[in-house]
Amino acid sequence: MSTITRIANTLAMAAAAGAMLAGPGWVGTAVAQQSPTALVGATVHPVDGDPVENGIVLIEGRDIAAVGIGIEIPDDAEIIDVTGSHIYPGFVHPLSALGLTEISSVAGTVDNTEMGAINAALRVEVAFNHDSALLPVNIAGGILTTHTVPSGGLIRGTSAVMNMEGWSWEDMTIKAPAGMHINFPSGAAGDGENDDLKKIESVLDAAQDWHKAMQAFEAGSAPRPARNAQLEALVPLLEGEMPLFLYAGKEKEINAALDWAEGRQFERVILVGGPDLQYVAERLATEDIPVIFNGVYSMPTRRWEAYDMAYAAAGKLFEAGVKFAIGDGGGSFGATNARNLPFHAGSAAAFGLPKDAALKSVTLWPAEILGVDDHLGSLAAGKRASLIVTSGDPLEPMTQIQRVWIDGEEYDLGRSKHRQLFERYKGRIQAD
Amino acid sequence: MNRFMSRTSIILASLLTSVALADYAPDVEAWNIESAPPQATVVVRNATVWTAGEQQILEQADLLVRGGKIRAVGADLDAPGNALEIDGTGMHVTPGIIDAHSHAAIIGGVNEATDISTAQVRIEDVIDSESINIYRQLAGGVTAINLLHGSANAIGGQMAVIKMRWGANPEELLFQAATPGIKFALGENPKQSNWNNDDPRYPQSRPGVAQIIDEKFQQAADYQRALENMPEGRRGRNVVPPRPNLEMDAIVEILEGVRKIHSHAYRADEMVMLINIAESFGVTIGTFQHVLEGYKLARRMAEHGAAGSGFIDWWNFKHEASDAIPYNPALMAMGGVTVGLHSDNPELARRMNLEAAKAVRYGGVDQHDALIMITANPARQLGVGDRTGRIEEGLDADFVLWNGHPLSVYSRVEQTWVDGRRYFDYQADRARREALEAERRELMAMVLDEGEGGEEADESPAGEETPGGLIGYRASELAHDEFCHAQDFGFTHGGHVHAIDFRSGE
Repeated sequence: MSTITRIANTLAMAAAAGAMLAGPGWVGTAVAQQSPTALVGATVHPVDGDPVENGIVLIEGRDIAAVGIGIEIPDDAEIIDVTGSHIYPGFVHPLSALGLTEISSVAGTVDNTEMGAINAALRVEVAFNHDSALLPVNIAGGILTTHTVPSGGLIRGTSAVMNMEGWSWEDMTIKAPAGMHINFPSGAAGDGENDDLKKIESVLDAAQDWHKAMQAFEAGSAPRPARNAQLEALVPLLEGEMPLFLYAGKEKEINAALDWAEGRQFERVILVGGPDLQYVAERLATEDIPVIFNGVYSMPTRRWEAYDMAYAAAGKLFEAGVKFAIGDGGGSFGATNARNLPFHAGSAAAFGLPKDAALKSVTLWPAEILGVDDHLGSLAAGKRASLIVTSGDPLEPMTQIQRVWIDGEEYDLGRSKHRQLFERYKGRIQAD
Repeated sequence: MNRFMSRTSIILASLLTSVALADYAPDVEAWNIESAPPQATVVVRNATVWTAGEQQILEQADLLVRGGKIRAVGADLDAPGNALEIDGTGMHVTPGIIDAHSHAAIIGGVNEATDISTAQVRIEDVIDSESINIYRQLAGGVTAINLLHGSANAIGGQMAVIKMRWGANPEELLFQAATPGIKFALGENPKQSNWNNDDPRYPQSRPGVAQIIDEKFQQAADYQRALENMPEGRRGRNVVPPRPNLEMDAIVEILEGVRKIHSHAYRADEMVMLINIAESFGVTIGTFQHVLEGYKLARRMAEHGAAGSGFIDWWNFKHEASDAIPYNPALMAMGGVTVGLHSDNPELARRMNLEAAKAVRYGGVDQHDALIMITANPARQLGVGDRTGRIEEGLDADFVLWNGHPLSVYSRVEQTWVDGRRYFDYQADRARREALEAERRELMAMVLDEGEGGEEADESPAGEETPGGLIGYRASELAHDEFCHAQDFGFTHGGHVHAIDFRSGE
């Protein structure tokens, strides 16, 4: 079987080469009609199915046309032999500051936080720097999609799911707004009179009122209410058109935040929390609340807790049946090393999370939670061809990422500043 | 008496007198031990032994330990009849991990950030032997750490190397064989770049940092000369000796080569600067710490004899970290530098094996060589390369048993031994936490019988909460070099965006 495939591939390769030489359309055309690409010979890990040895990933245009074995490769396809390697979908970072930040200690380069408590009308995608030096470095680590979020304050604004590669933020936006971000005040657990919580509630109430006034105007029964950027921005949240990303840290706060969200009847809540999520796992599963779990690599919440309390948290969430994505805590400092995301998932697998679940927690599950799984998160026909070719298991820090495709095009890993400096100084050290 | 029961009765007594359940303080001593584990005669059978030495990796090998030392390593070893036998089938043995840059057990004073030189202050005076970090890092395979001052000033103070003898007092923790050392710092931190500064002190620039170090060496050389020129015996009676000066005493030790410089350094220019000044005084630098641009001067470092102790992949958190690359260890090694990897962070220190794994990813360092970067090489950098850091006959029995490949993300530590004593055992840890949980339930039941509400039972007032949401920690356990990077160890908790981040947004 594999021999036959190989012969077929070789023939197809020859045919493709012939087509490239002979086809008049290829000569001197700046923007040629892109021919299909077939990656052959690798072990293909679709994530939503079992790995396939000596599989094929056929790419047409932006998308994956077919994945698996016994796929017919079109005559005009460029065949790329990646025998011995492995193919995985790119990682989907569930919560980062990528694109908004460069050097965390240099204020002029940091745009992931804003002053003030209420910033519902912020849209992060408009400040996404498509030429940030952080992007190529993290693409080289397999992070091909980022959910970039605003931070700071109580109502923080809207986030965006962004492609890591492109010529402007408009091209790179996959989904915006991806959701509204609200920080449940830590003091509000067990204190209904908490000032910060009251502030949030009064703004949400005002938004509700504004929306009613607007509906009345649209029905012709009232004058138009004055524009109000903050309140208008909250209407899609109140109408269930976008999810709420609700942040809560410790067990008590998580429970209080869930109670509060239930009371306010938000249509779709995604809880963002730390290792204490494991203590609320049953409830999260029962109420079908997906979570973004930050903090595999963090100190146990309480000094007296077991040393592996944070490592083991994801396994506990899995056991209970919670839908979750593993994050790294985001932030400006964190953005530089977003590339380490898969290792967080791998470490959780050393402490109880099944390996295949660990892989899903940084690919398919974040895509599902963010609502972009029709485009991303696994290797399947019709999804974007954003994938990585590796020397082995990409959750292992020892593994090398050899090649990357984003939206059907091979990405030049040499754009990573780190690779450039490596090549330059390797030459110098070896020359002496 | 069973120690859990005795503790139970004490806690119970205090509970019943103070009554309020909200005052219930969970037993933060759960991981403590009452006395050092016995120094065992032990033989590990049939394991994969990573020696970090000339023998490289030995498959299906045995390891014999007696009297706190490694007695033999190899195939089918004879062991005394009383030896504890550990079946190492499927397991890997490595030397204990050595972290050459830590602040994980220092009671205050990580930075004596007053004068530009505080060479006289000593970490050994402020070691926190009760830091839970010691136990947690043992659980990650760490057996020795170098406690360093921070980077607020050009000359920060005298370091202390300790072994992770959990339960011992500060003096007993000290690794006496280590070469005395002193922390230096270059760049943005000593020149006070990253924080508001109402009361700046000299220097505020890199040339100023260079100048002050040069001047301190000149003063120390004068002081040393004055001491040496003191006449012997009767003739000395009429000469006023130089005034005792603890700062100069320490710097004289540098000039004499008995105290090694471990200098925080990011950029290539400043490392070349320190080498240049050191050489003008005949001094050889011990290590550059962090050494982000070490790859730009690898040959120069090797020629001078300075080692490099770095992060594997931290970059761009400050301007001077712009050119930090994860290929640095590979390139420095290529240039002939003795390369080590360090944590500088009590959380990261628990998984240094994965930092070594990244050296394989970035630049293709051989796996065994990568392990050497967290064992034998940091041992050499601290002057204890002939005592620890390798699995070799005659060395201290500081070793780790892993349940799989030591550089794999899926592996974890089974046991950690220091001086032939088993200080961490995964199975014992699990048994202890189960006993603790049982005790806790028992106490709760008794208190609830007393009719006190149980609502708040989970959150105890036993400790302050940090902004990042950590509870009950001693300040020393979260201590870090605040001038180096504004870390917050709760960074991943919830969305309290305290990211290891300068701008927490709150």
